[in-house]
Amino acid sequence: MFFSWDYLFQGFVTALSWQNLFWAFVGCFMGTLIGVLPGIGPTSGIAILLPLTTVLNPISAIIMMAAIYYGAMYGGSTTAIVVNIPGESASVPTALDGYELAKQGRAGPALGIAAISSFVAGTLSLLGLTFFAPALASVALAFGPPEYFALMFMGLSLVISLSQRALLKGVISMALGLLAATIGQDPLTGDVRLTFGSEELIAGVNFISVIIGLFAIGEVLVNVERAITHIYEHKKLEWMPKWSDIKQCAGSMIRSSFIGFFLGLLPGCSPSVTTFVAYDVEKRVSKHPERFGKGAMEGVAGPEGANNATVSGCFVPLFAFGLPTGPAMAVLLGGLMMYGLQPGPMLFTQNPQFVWTVIASMYIGNVILLVLNLPLVGMWARIALLPFPVLGPLIVIFSIIGAYSVRYLLLDIWVALIFGVLGYFARKLGFPIAPMVLASVLAQMLEASFQQSLLISHGSLLIFFNRPIAVAFMVLAFVSIGRGLWAEFRDRGLEVAEEDKD
Amino acid sequence: MKSQRFSDMVSGIFLALLGLVVVLAAIQIKGAPDVRMQPRTLPLILGWIVGVAGAALAFRAWRYRGPVRIVPWPDRVGTLRVGVTLAALIVFLLLVEPLGMPLSSSLLVGFLVWYLGGYRPIYAGLLGLATGGTIYVVFIRLLNLSFPIGPLGR
Repeated sequence: MFFSWDYLFQGFVTALSWQNLFWAFVGCFMGTLIGVLPGIGPTSGIAILLPLTTVLNPISAIIMMAAIYYGAMYGGSTTAIVVNIPGESASVPTALDGYELAKQGRAGPALGIAAISSFVAGTLSLLGLTFFAPALASVALAFGPPEYFALMFMGLSLVISLSQRALLKGVISMALGLLAATIGQDPLTGDVRLTFGSEELIAGVNFISVIIGLFAIGEVLVNVERAITHIYEHKKLEWMPKWSDIKQCAGSMIRSSFIGFFLGLLPGCSPSVTTFVAYDVEKRVSKHPERFGKGAMEGVAGPEGANNATVSGCFVPLFAFGLPTGPAMAVLLGGLMMYGLQPGPMLFTQNPQFVWTVIASMYIGNVILLVLNLPLVGMWARIALLPFPVLGPLIVIFSIIGAYSVRYLLLDIWVALIFGVLGYFARKLGFPIAPMVLASVLAQMLEASFQQSLLISHGSLLIFFNRPIAVAFMVLAFVSIGRGLWAEFRDRGLEVAEEDKD
Repeated sequence: MKSQRFSDMVSGIFLALLGLVVVLAAIQIKGAPDVRMQPRTLPLILGWIVGVAGAALAFRAWRYRGPVRIVPWPDRVGTLRVGVTLAALIVFLLLVEPLGMPLSSSLLVGFLVWYLGGYRPIYAGLLGLATGGTIYVVFIRLLNLSFPIGPLGR
């Protein structure tokens, strides 16, 4: 993969043609709309709209598909902030603080910061994609199953330590999330596990249902019992972020660009992981970590920035090796192949014009998203002005549709309902929710990479400790576990998760 | 269940039992011949974690002698509202296949808006129909998702 100013310049010229600009705009717009529809995440968004792009020439089509992808990524955070429905797992950390901000009447500023942070991190990480892609691509190749396992293990231990004063409950929450994901077929052997004789359960538990249940339905149930009239108690609403908000989040935006981009290079490291890592980092570097979970603006800026930066990072392995790093990228790869383009090292030598036009169009897409979304912020924030008895049932029905439209299985709605009840009790009893969500998302990859590592090492667990990158992650994980245990033994109080405290 | 201490003891014991059930179920998972980690290993470990952590939670709460913290459980009216909402959701789930997504959604939204907000049935019903209509147009007609459509299908 060779960089040249010439190609980049030519790319901008092609991408700025009125035709390509138009399709980038359409893609951003439809992507955002689709992202706002609950449950229809970027992957199904691109898949649904893929047939529409067949009428276009390959370049316009890929530009539009990429635009749909990041539009959908952005749209997902809108519902996470306004009504606490994270459309996909990547928006879960955004919901933690975004919804708290919204309840304080600051949905507008939170949405604005999300848009600005997405733009800043998106653009910064595109610079990374443009200039450093070749060198970075080889780093990603050094990642084998042991490194993945160590990375995910670290991710889980970090998220448990997020629940600071409730270590036991955090561990239980994580274990339940992993358990839910083991129901159904073993990813490697296909053996049926924990179905208790039910045939429906063989299909397994989909993590989208888990997320929707825990967040959206659980939250609605809590609101139903209190007979509230509006989901936000504050009457005074702000529409736009203040200059001080932006200044406060500037550091988060830059940090999350780096986190998102570099982790995004790793195959399999999807935004659902990087947004959690970014959130955790923000909480750790903050001078006021106690504000997190109660409406910290950095808690929105960090994950949102990382989300978009990861998208740019993901394109490196896709272009350089033809390696899709996640389901959404796999659909995009399908789109590329539909047009007879085989991503991989040859793509850059055979179709440089194509690659650089797409990269240029991503810069433009980021600008379009910002211009498109800042004016819409007020509109989205107003949704929450609907009385709760009207909004609540609508949230429920659209969550149900979101859960159902992943696989068209009624089972998924039942699962969402069960996890809704679980989420309700978790909120009441002070169990943290985030570990359960992350665990259910990572479970399959965690188990598969563990299996593969043991195959490589012929059964020796030492493989996680004699490879430099893996051992670094493992050490971090054990440090964070050790710190948690230390805090646990010092403190004999009752466990109540910080993020769910009233 | 009023105090956090008692709630923790009850949920801890429940989780310990759940862990036990998972362990028992995991033991019965068939083994595969040539893999390093048996399909039953992960569920087995997780069952142990849930069981032991649950027991520890209960024990910790039992030993706790600090100030009482009250769990914000709802009053009778609140419990009823949650119960009815859940019941409505279950009825909805049973109706999705025979009635189809748009019709059953209309019923669910109409009922919940009426029950939760005390709006006049006519408004609630219209809102329900509007929701069902939107679902039909956007998800079934426009996006072509294969939802059950019930009697509307033919």
